[in-house]
Parts: sequence; C-alpha cells; structure tokens
Amino acid sequence: MRTLDPQSLSKHVDRLYRTAWALCGSREDAEDLVQETFARVLARPRVLQGDDELYYLMRVLRNTFLTGRRTASRRPVTGAELEDVVAADPRPTSRPEQAIEMQEVYATIAQLPDDFRLAIVAVDVLGLSYREAARALRVREATLTTRLFRARKQVVERLAPASDGGRPSAGEIQREGNGTSGVLSGGGTP
Amino acid sequence: MSQHRPQTESELVDYLQSVDVRAPDELQRKVQALIADSARARRRPPWARIRGARPALAFKLGGATTALAAVAVVLVLALSGGGAPALTLREASALTLRAATMAPPAQSAGSPRQLAVAVDGVAFPYWEDHFGWRASGTRVDRIGGRTITTVFYTNGRGRRVGYAIVAGTPAPAVSGGRIVWREGTPFRLMRENGTRIVTWTRDGHLCVVSGKGMSGATLLRLASWNDDVVAA
Repeated sequence: MRTLDPQSLSKHVDRLYRTAWALCGSREDAEDLVQETFARVLARPRVLQGDDELYYLMRVLRNTFLTGRRTASRRPVTGAELEDVVAADPRPTSRPEQAIEMQEVYATIAQLPDDFRLAIVAVDVLGLSYREAARALRVREATLTTRLFRARKQVVERLAPASDGGRPSAGEIQREGNGTSGVLSGGGTP
Repeated sequence: MSQHRPQTESELVDYLQSVDVRAPDELQRKVQALIADSARARRRPPWARIRGARPALAFKLGGATTALAAVAVVLVLALSGGGAPALTLREASALTLRAATMAPPAQSAGSPRQLAVAVDGVAFPYWEDHFGWRASGTRVDRIGGRTITTVFYTNGRGRRVGYAIVAGTPAPAVSGGRIVWREGTPFRLMRENGTRIVTWTRDGHLCVVSGKGMSGATLLRLASWNDDVVAA
C-alpha cells in the first residue's frame, strides 16, 4: 500500500489525453475529461493498494466519463457562454498526417458502444494489461477479452472503404445484453 | 489516410500503440497547476488548518505543540467522517440563498481587499470598492460534520449573492458542471434548481458562490477576483 505521489502523475498526461480523445471522439471533450480526471484524483490524498498509477487513472477516467455522460443526459441543452469557449490548441501533433489519421480512427472508436470503446481504449490506447483493464472497468477478464475482440473488429470494419462493403449498418453495432454503460458501481468512484 | 488505414485487427492494435500525439501545452499547464495546488495544500502545516488560529501566534507555539495540533486535526477529521451524512453541494449552495442570521463583517483593517472574517485562514473578499457589492450579513451552519460560513453581499440594485466557505480539508469532492479556468484556477459552473452556482477551492477549502437570478458570468467574475493581490 502506498500514497499516490501527485508529482508522478504528470508523466501520464499524454497517454491519458489520447485515451480520453479516443473515448470522446473530440479533442475539446478529451481536454475537459483529462482535467476533470486529474482534478478528482488530486482533490485528496489517494492510497494505491499495489496498483499501478495508470490503472488508477483509467478507473477515475472511466468513472468521470460515465458520470459526465449521465449528467449531460439529464441536463437541458443550453448554449455555452462566450467566456466558456476556449480555443482548441492548434498544435496537437508534430505530424499533421498522423493527426488526420488519428482523428478518423479515434472518431470511429468513439462511435462504438460504451463497453466496447472502454475496452479498446484501456488496452490498446492506454496500454493496460487485460487484467488491469478488467479491474479498472469492473468486468471479468473474459468479458473484457470478448469486448476487446468485438471492438477491434468493428473498428476495422468501419474503417474499411465503403466500396468493400465493410462499413456496417447501425444495426450491426450491437451491445452486449448486460452492458454497464452509464452505471457506476457503488462506492467505486475514487 | 488510406495508405495507413489499418486493414486488420493486428494492424489496428499496432497503429493505436504507435500514436505519439502529445497533450496540448495548455492542458499540460493546467494539469501542472492542479498538481502544484495539490502539493501546496498538503504542505500546509497542521496549525494552519485549525479554525481561528493566527499564523503568528501558532508559529510561536513551537514544535512540541505542533505534534499535539496534528493529533487534534486527525481527530477532527476522523470525527467529521464518523457517521455524519456527508455534506452535499446542494446543501452548501442552498445556504447561500438563505437569510443572514448575523451582522455583516467589517472590512479587514490589515487587508483592505478582504473582510475581517475567515475560515481556517481563508478570508472572505471585500467587494464593495471594486464591484459595488457590500457585505450585508453572515450565517454559520453545521452540516455533515462541516462548518459552513456564508457571507452575503448585496449590490445597489438589491441583488444578493451568498459566498460560502466550507471548513476543513480536504474539500468535499464536487463533480459535474463545466470547468472554466481563471488565472490557473479551475472554477466549476453548474446549475442547481434553476440557480447558477460557481464552486472552486481556496487553500484546499471548498468555496461556493451563488445568487438567485445571477448569471454565471457575473458569479465567475466575483469568484475569480483575487483578493490576495495588493491594490496598486
């Protein structure tokens, strides 16, 4: 058991940002999500029970993301005030061509059902092991493996050129029956 | 994109793992600011967290009593978490709309941009000269093991704003709403029962500003005014 060192968190910002981007599908939402995640983690001293910091951050990111979605769905839609609008950083990457590719790939991931996209971002974008990802997402490892497999398959199909007939219809993107999207486990929010 | 488009699942995995996009500088700065704030809050000595303690006096107490003070703080925190229902943001913000029960505090003699009332060393601002909002009353409540001190301000048009500071650190966690940054500090704008609320932390203490019929922009302008700055 050890206390989370706030100073050590700064090295995870880039990875967490990419994870949030793939989760949200937009850079602006990703920035908000990362800020919110760090604000939550740093609000009080945290104790890690032998866990990796990245695993812990993923857990908070996931909770923050799902909480934000639930809150947004209950909130009446209102226009942002002028002073709330912050210009996006124009320099997300030193390789513009990669930014374009990435936007398309991340946007495709962001269209997946919540369970699938959380699985793929936790393992393939953030780089957690299957075991860590399963714990962070509060599912069994076998469930995570299945979701990950389906998520990757659907992303590749959606990215395939339309002429290949690879882009699935909306009906083909299906959820698992017992999906947990939008639901937080009791007492799990760090 | 077409020549780089992942064709198979393994290509997709390779691609996702190879992406090296950095977070924007602005985001990096904001996270660094959060980390610095967190470190500052944790570095505060125990005496600084005791309500009403004056730094100069507490400093004279010396190291022997510091340990005693630390035990007291641990006890206070333990008691506040023991059984009492946790303070909610709704409760804290509701206090800012209630009636005052005490007279307004005067302007601080030593710090003209502050009022002569503080919570754990966190002073309420003096807005009259800068914004035309004069302090019009005070109330103190205790909810969920926390003491909440609220100062009410009124402007020339009869509008009223409540500014609440919750005693004790760490501040109760708040989520939701929209985060807006001012001078490196994240302010959270939200709406509760049709009333705008702004929350943020000062030295690890949760602060809430709200008022019936007030716009988020006005509340944010008041909340983000830095009373620590020495007037020119």
